[in-house]
Amino acid sequence: LTYEEPTTNIETDVDVENTSPAGSPVLTTTDDDDIRMLRASLRATLGLAKDDVQPTLDINWRRLWPALARLGVTGFCVPEALGGLGMQAHAAVAAALELGAALHGSPYAGLVASAHALGRVDDPVAQDLLAGVLEGKRICAFGRLDSACRAAQVVDGAPGADALLLVVPTSDDLILFTEPSAWSITATAQNFDVSRSCGDVEVDAARGRRIPSAASKQLHGLLLAADSLGGVQRMLARTVAYAGQRVTFGRPIGGFQAVQHRLVDHMVRSRGVALVVDEAARLLGAGSSEATRFVTLAEFGVASTALHILHELLQLSGAIGFTWEYGLHLYERRAHHDARLGANPRAAVRSLAGMEGWDR
Amino acid sequence: MSVDLDAFRREVRSFVARRGLRMRGEGVRAPRDAEEEREIRRWLRELYETGYLGGGWPEECGGRPGHVPMQDLVLMEELILHDAYRPLDQVVSAAHAIIEFGTDAQRRGLLPRIRRGEHIWCQLFSEPNAGSDLASLRTRAEADGEGYVVTGQKVWSTDAHWADMGLLLARTDPSVDRHAGITAFVVPMDLPGIDVRPIREMTGFSEFCEVFLDGVRLGPEQVLGDVNGGWKVVTSSLASERAFVGANAVLLERMFRDLVALARAVRLPDGSAAIEHEDVQAQLADALVRVEEVKLIVRDTVERILLDAEHPSDGPVAKLAYTEMNVALCELALQLLGSSSSIDPEGAEVADRWYHNFLWSRALTISGGASEILRGLIGRQALGLPRA
Repeated sequence: LTYEEPTTNIETDVDVENTSPAGSPVLTTTDDDDIRMLRASLRATLGLAKDDVQPTLDINWRRLWPALARLGVTGFCVPEALGGLGMQAHAAVAAALELGAALHGSPYAGLVASAHALGRVDDPVAQDLLAGVLEGKRICAFGRLDSACRAAQVVDGAPGADALLLVVPTSDDLILFTEPSAWSITATAQNFDVSRSCGDVEVDAARGRRIPSAASKQLHGLLLAADSLGGVQRMLARTVAYAGQRVTFGRPIGGFQAVQHRLVDHMVRSRGVALVVDEAARLLGAGSSEATRFVTLAEFGVASTALHILHELLQLSGAIGFTWEYGLHLYERRAHHDARLGANPRAAVRSLAGMEGWDR
Repeated sequence: MSVDLDAFRREVRSFVARRGLRMRGEGVRAPRDAEEEREIRRWLRELYETGYLGGGWPEECGGRPGHVPMQDLVLMEELILHDAYRPLDQVVSAAHAIIEFGTDAQRRGLLPRIRRGEHIWCQLFSEPNAGSDLASLRTRAEADGEGYVVTGQKVWSTDAHWADMGLLLARTDPSVDRHAGITAFVVPMDLPGIDVRPIREMTGFSEFCEVFLDGVRLGPEQVLGDVNGGWKVVTSSLASERAFVGANAVLLERMFRDLVALARAVRLPDGSAAIEHEDVQAQLADALVRVEEVKLIVRDTVERILLDAEHPSDGPVAKLAYTEMNVALCELALQLLGSSSSIDPEGAEVADRWYHNFLWSRALTISGGASEILRGLIGRQALGLPRA
């Protein structure tokens, strides 16, 4: 991947179809510099170049989505022959971090996982759907079926989706639904996360087609972890900036050990978790046999720390952090939902126990 | 010249397995008797003779041409993996101070004796009223003719009861800024006026000492570095063999294996092993991910050290993360032990190790930069927050 330094921002009121996204990237290979450029490019595009900016929600995210898709974000884990960029899990993680930090409304983890799975199916309907996902014009929502394989609660992006890809419990199989008459959607009652829209779906499993793909499921879990982590990093930077400015008893609150030392502990822990997420992406991208273990560790690490750290940051922000407008709660809601969408951290403990042999 | 690190590791591994002196427990370093002391000195000498230790020294001091810092890390990892005696930090940092700040005569006189295992070194730094705030030290070295007379009290001096030499920090000029009035000295520990009293620690061992200095006479040739330049000597010698920090990853990995072994050996009143229980598995999962986090933080730090691109906060972050993780693992082990009704015989040794490690673990979060000091450093240097 090679990205130019972004020069323009997309404004929300411009005609996206005729606007080239920030930087107009030329994609070649992946390395750290390219990933940094990708993140900078996304940040600029998402209007989040500064750490102290107020978080906002954009319910019309689909209008701008084709422009982001042109950056390649949905095709990071799709074979090049099908219009993707190979298995660039690292780049997908970088994008998920930025989209999480921006509270972006897209079901990004599910889109990348779906595109990955669709790339493994040799069938014109699936490939047509994949092409639409890569262009940012179609949405394939990704979720988890119940044990009877009839319903899936809290499917991110289900309202308005063009297709569904649902995980069969306790297996590596997914079921793809492309006929809208094969499912019905109701707005979920569980809408704690207000930054994305989820739906509860009921399906006729017989009308779907099975796709075996353990890696798609792992990719989904890893990107959900990255989504939460992006929010934690953003809010940590914002809280540090706030603590350096907010004066009480004649000095910045960040000069009090009670505040400073807690911020340091959260910085160290989130750095550790970020390195685990990074390592998981590296292993998954390389097709390593260690990938499953590290993805699980990454999911578990994030799911068991993100909400705790965010809730601590709220305490360190004082009463302003408690307001709706300040928006810290938006990240807490979202981090919780990320864990829910991946059924973590309990699922991760179960699989770690299996992989490490603790249950024998 | 490039180094085949895998081949080097195999070579070191076989050497350590053949010749290595076994360690009695984490942090246990002082010899029990004359026989063990001979063994420690023998082991130290062999490490230097093979060039595994001191390979990075300048060639004229005995270093190996083509040595790379990764070799220091490999050595330390192999010592840990084989449970071999490795508490070498005081000797190593004294050597670095002599190499960097010593006169030709000091280098010629002192370095070969370190390499031969003749000189064990200790540090005479901390005082009863100068711990984390080392620059507030009050031991005085007053000019007296050509030389100095030293009076004061040192404490927490590791190995002072059997060390041959001490690296002393004393105040030579009380009238200037407190960092600017300190001088470093190389001191034979058998000089008249030096009284060493071992302190018995909570582990039951005696590793630290009080050292009383009463009118100890030092010559000008015993000044290390510049007069009143001691602060530079101490900060620089603490930064030696930086890649050693990476070995902590291996130590944590090993401790985690010990934790799993303990969870298998610990039985609950109903006869089941602790590890069969989902709550214990959840605790293990939590410990595992945190161990992996710290291993990656340490690896990341080493990579930057090797590239000479480290941030000033990298070392403190790695030390804070590693030492606090060590404590957390020990607490978890004690929790498992606390809920046990019996321990399988094969778990007895590992249980003993955990009891000792638990008692020892706080030594690491207090010494060499207490966690609270490190958090302040990181807060200022990495987060840009004001001094607390």
